[in-house]
Amino acid sequence: MNRIISAIILVAMFAGANIAIAQDNLSPQRKQAIDSLALEKVRDLSKYISIIGDKSTPWSDAQRVIERAVELFMENSEMGVSRKNSPDVSYYKVREYFDRLMQLNYNKVKIDWYKIQYVSDLVRQPDGTYVGVITIYQRFQGYNKENGLVYEDTTKKDITVYVKRKETQIGGRLIGFWDVMLGDIRVKETK
Amino acid sequence: MSEIISKIKSVRWQQMMFILLMALLVVGTDSCKSTGKLSKKDRLAQIEAAKKQLQPIISGASTLSYEEQKRIVGEVMDKNLNDPVLNSMIVDAQQKLKSLLGEQTQQHAQKVDEARAKLYDILLNKDNKSADELEKEVRAIKALNLKESEIDELIGRAEKKIADMRASGGGANLPVKSQLENSFNSIVTSSQNGDLSGADNTIQKTLQLFSSGDAPVLIIISREGSIVDYDKPTTIQRYLNLLKDTKANRNNIDAIMTDATGKIKGLDLIKK
Repeated sequence: MNRIISAIILVAMFAGANIAIAQDNLSPQRKQAIDSLALEKVRDLSKYISIIGDKSTPWSDAQRVIERAVELFMENSEMGVSRKNSPDVSYYKVREYFDRLMQLNYNKVKIDWYKIQYVSDLVRQPDGTYVGVITIYQRFQGYNKENGLVYEDTTKKDITVYVKRKETQIGGRLIGFWDVMLGDIRVKETK
Repeated sequence: MSEIISKIKSVRWQQMMFILLMALLVVGTDSCKSTGKLSKKDRLAQIEAAKKQLQPIISGASTLSYEEQKRIVGEVMDKNLNDPVLNSMIVDAQQKLKSLLGEQTQQHAQKVDEARAKLYDILLNKDNKSADELEKEVRAIKALNLKESEIDELIGRAEKKIADMRASGGGANLPVKSQLENSFNSIVTSSQNGDLSGADNTIQKTLQLFSSGDAPVLIIISREGSIVDYDKPTTIQRYLNLLKDTKANRNNIDAIMTDATGKIKGLDLIKK
């Protein structure tokens, strides 16, 4: 009897190991899919930042978008903020950053992210999480009523991304999904 | 002489006249009756005409219906022209008719099978066709005039379904999939044009198609054999706002799950 139980345990372990191996060795197509997914989340964030900074966005919409933007980040993630001609970089928790962004003292704010690309590919960590770094360029333009464009800068920022496969039950279906979470956004350069 | 005269007088003339009349009647009837015999010339003409009638039936070139061909063969047989070649042709024609009947029965059965399958598709409406599209398909099946009780019953059910779809109103004439695609594109377009209230109105209208704003939306990012990878599950309320915020529709509709009331209870999307 003990032998049978041992055999069952061995088979189960082998099957479990096989599933784990299947997840470890992602095919190029699946890897490409999660690469794209992480880039897409960063692009979503860029749209959210643009909406939050836009003075014409209704307050309720801005609050809703802040919630969506915060959900993209891991807990306690920070956003680096810099100014042209200043070596100082301030780091704020992302929610605080979004609140401050919404209240910037300009009549009009335009924020665009471009050249969104991987600077370090997603690499699998021992715990199964894929970690990579995406770099973006942010063009910030602040306007006031009297003088029009009063401040602008371009900042290169690095965003650490974490992607992990998880499972959940929805309507009786077992869904395997990739959870993309953004980490700290570090300022690399401001011009 | 007087003896002869008396004998003549003794004859019952009334009886004689009656017998004579009856004899004439019998002879007359007999002479009117056909002898059944044709002149040689007429018979040959009829045989040739019969052969001409049978030839297209035997060769399969006849454009007449099975019933009409059957009638022609029957008429030729009834003439009893007793010609060996014609008799052989009659046998050939009968065999041809037999195989024609077999083919027709097979074709009919095939049509019934096809119509049945089509009607079940209509009842399920897996492709989310509109009431008008479904009605067109039902009309085409009715035009086949299959005269099968099972098909008639399915046609009745399909017509009821179409009537129900129309009665439900609210643009149900359009397939749900098309309604959703139109809504998604409309939200994106409104948002791109800075018409946020227009986008919000479309979001509210679209939500009415769903059992609730929390109806799950799953986005397939990769499908490789049996392995399906999804994006993090979201809800329809959030997804519609995502369309508005990102001003982009990056997914196609993969599957729509509805509840007993016809409302969408779940939506599967797939990356374009």
